[in-house]
Parts: sequence; structure tokens; C-alpha cells
Amino acid sequence: MKLALVCIYTFLGALMFAVPNMTRPGILFAVPVPADFREGPIGRRSITIFRGLILAALLPLVCALLFAPDRVLGPVSVAAPFLLMLVTGIGFFWQHHTLEPYAVHTQLPREAVLSTAPDRLPWFAWLAAGPFAILTASALFLQANWERIPERFPVHWGANGQPNRWSERNVQGVYGPLVFALELCLWFVAAGLASWFGARRSHLRSALFGCLIAIEYMLGLLFSIIAINPLVSFPVWAIALSPMLFVVPVVIVMIRAAAQPSDPPEPTPDECWKGGGVIYYNPNDPALMVEKRFGAGYTFNFANRWSWALLGSLVLVVLSIFLIV
Amino acid sequence: MGAAPTIRFDPASPVPAVRQITDSLRVQLVNRQLAPGTSLPSVRRLAMELGVHFNTVAEAYRQIAAEGWLDLQHGRGALVIARALPKTHPHDWVEEFRDRLHGLIAQVRAEGAAPAEIAAELRDAAKVVLRS
Repeated sequence: MKLALVCIYTFLGALMFAVPNMTRPGILFAVPVPADFREGPIGRRSITIFRGLILAALLPLVCALLFAPDRVLGPVSVAAPFLLMLVTGIGFFWQHHTLEPYAVHTQLPREAVLSTAPDRLPWFAWLAAGPFAILTASALFLQANWERIPERFPVHWGANGQPNRWSERNVQGVYGPLVFALELCLWFVAAGLASWFGARRSHLRSALFGCLIAIEYMLGLLFSIIAINPLVSFPVWAIALSPMLFVVPVVIVMIRAAAQPSDPPEPTPDECWKGGGVIYYNPNDPALMVEKRFGAGYTFNFANRWSWALLGSLVLVVLSIFLIV
Repeated sequence: MGAAPTIRFDPASPVPAVRQITDSLRVQLVNRQLAPGTSLPSVRRLAMELGVHFNTVAEAYRQIAAEGWLDLQHGRGALVIARALPKTHPHDWVEEFRDRLHGLIAQVRAEGAAPAEIAAELRDAAKVVLRS
């Protein structure tokens, strides 16, 4: 289990390490710069400092996970992702302010095709139905083997691999994880549709749609594994690592699509990026989602009320776990 | 079949957004790149692609419709309609045209455009007009 945790947090650290390479060449730490700036001395120095901070946080964390006694493993494993994100945030905002004097504020002309061709979903959109089939199959499997399900079974495990939360054999206990996954999958389908019809046409939009479907599969499979675990007994490390099968390809696809764009930059005015270039707020832009300046992918236009509706519904879905499971 | 016509918008230009979109549409309508019977994208879609407010595109469509180029039907989008160019202008257009052209030349010169480049653009424009 220790090794599984080390794998997960090393991957998280590598992800943070790659943050400067996640945006198109004209954006570095959410600052619009010349395309060759990151290869120059100032850009390189900035990236090195940022990565040095990540390594300084990651290496002690990995050592702590490997060599810490079992009694402190739990707190360390819980604190690790937050510490990594905190260090990434500090490094990012530090470098953002460092690079601001080098910002190049240009507003490029925009072009739009005068076409009424329908904005059809990508060909692979039908794959979004797959996770619902997986959840349904899991529910039918549980229904068919109801008598074989133990009266009490674990549904959550600690960092030491030992179960720390149990459920009982009743409708809520057995089907709860599947219902929660169903809610999450529905939310991701809604987010996929919103990102497709609420963003400007670009290749990155297709990549994002595919990644949201992949996340949907990850959730569907993970919660199906948890739900049928009382009957099949998967190893805990396998359950912990299974999301990586989807997360790793998703991250690689998004980074490649975002860092090597085949479309012109988004027409998002610099003055509409708040909070160090992380939050986009532009009431004059009808887009619901725009290309990020921090990390790969899209972010909401917080001036669009649908962004609040989507985020609010996600909070409700996440909070519903206390009622369902 | 040729590529679909495109519309260009420069947010850094001192020319207002509505005027830029209206001018760009009118050029394509006059040159028949947008033929009668062609549907234009919805206000929402065009505004999103250009990154401007819905009202900006809606106002541009209304202005072009008022000139007789478009039929705006609620819920059915904007349809290019046949519009015969008037044989003669009701007033002395040459003087007004010259004033506007000189004003435009002065404006781009004030923004740093080289006289030779302006002259080359005018020659190209003259060729297009003679061909049409």
C-alpha cells in the first residue's frame, strides 16, 4: 500500500512539475509573454525556481511515506496532496509576479467562419454511455448475488491498507456507491456538453470532451469495483491505483493538446484574468469555458451564470455522498 | 465548393466592434461572397467565436438588415436576401466617398501605415472593384 501511495504522490508531483509546460508557448505562469520567452534566460530561471520548490516538497514527502511508522502514515498521506498543491500555488504566484514586468499585452485579430453548419458533437460522444452500462451491470450483478454479500463489509481503507469504514447489506449500503457514481457521471456528461457548446471551436475542445468521458469511465469503474468488492475482493492497492489508468492518459492528452495548439490563441483580454491569471471574468464574452492560463484545459468564465450553476450542482453532488453512502 | 467566408474583428482597432462587423459583412455581401439564400450563423455562435457581446453582433445584423441585405426572422436566424444595387445614387456620392476615403487614409497614416502600403492597397481595391 505504501508503494501505491508513493506512486500516486510521485505522479501528482510530476504533474505539478509539468505545470509550466501545460500552456501554449505564449503563456508562462499565466503571464502573456513572447513565444520564445521560456527558452530565454529569464524564462528558464523562473521555471527552474518553480520546479526546485516542487522537488523540495516532493522528496521529503516520498521519504516520509516510505520510512514513516504506520501510526503517522495516515496523517502524512492525507497532508501530502494538500502540501504539494500549496507549494505549487506559492511557486506559481511567486513566478507570476516575477514575470509580470515582462508581459506583452497584445490583442490579436479574430476570425470566425460564416457558416451555419451544425456544431455536432465529436464521433466518440456515444462512448459517454459506457459508464452507465458498467454501473447498471454492477447493480444487476449485486442483485443476482444478493445472498452472497456479507452482512457487513468494508467500503473505505486507510493509508496502511486496513479498512476504516464499513457498510451493511441493505439497499443504501450496497447500491449507494453506484448511485453516487451515477450522479457524478451525469455531472460529467453535463460538463462535457457545456464545454462543447459553451466554448469556441478548437482542437482543444475535442481533447477536453474526450478527457471528460475518460474521467466518467474512471468514476464508473472505480465505484463499480468498490460496490462489487464484497463479492470479488480486489486488492486494496489495485483499487487505489486503478484511477491512474485513466488519469495518466488524460493528463498526457491534455498537456499535449494545450501545449502544442493548432488553433489561434483564445480572444480573452488580459485585464479579464483575475487572481494571478487563474480566474476569468468577462461579462462581454459569451463563452462559458475558455482556455486556461494555468494548467492544461479549460476554465469557467465566471461572468457567465451557467458556470455557477455547474459548479453549484457539482458541490451538491459531492455533498450527497453523506446521504447516499 | 469554395471555403466558407470568414469575418474578421480586430479588438485593438479604434473602430468600434459593431462597425467592424457591419463593414466586414457588407464587403462580403457586395462582392457576392455571401449570396442570396445563404444563412448567417446565429448571433450567439458568431458572438462566441469573435469573443464579443451578443448585443454587438445583434446590432450589426440589425444594421445590415436595415440596408436590405438580410431578412431577420425570429427563431430562424439571418438569411441573406437578394438586394438590387441602385442604378444611381440619390445624392452626390463622389464627394461623400472622397471625404470618407481621405478620412480613412488619414486615420491609418496617423496609426503608422506607410504611404506606399496604402497606395498598394488602394490599387488592389480598384482592381477588385473593376472586376466586380
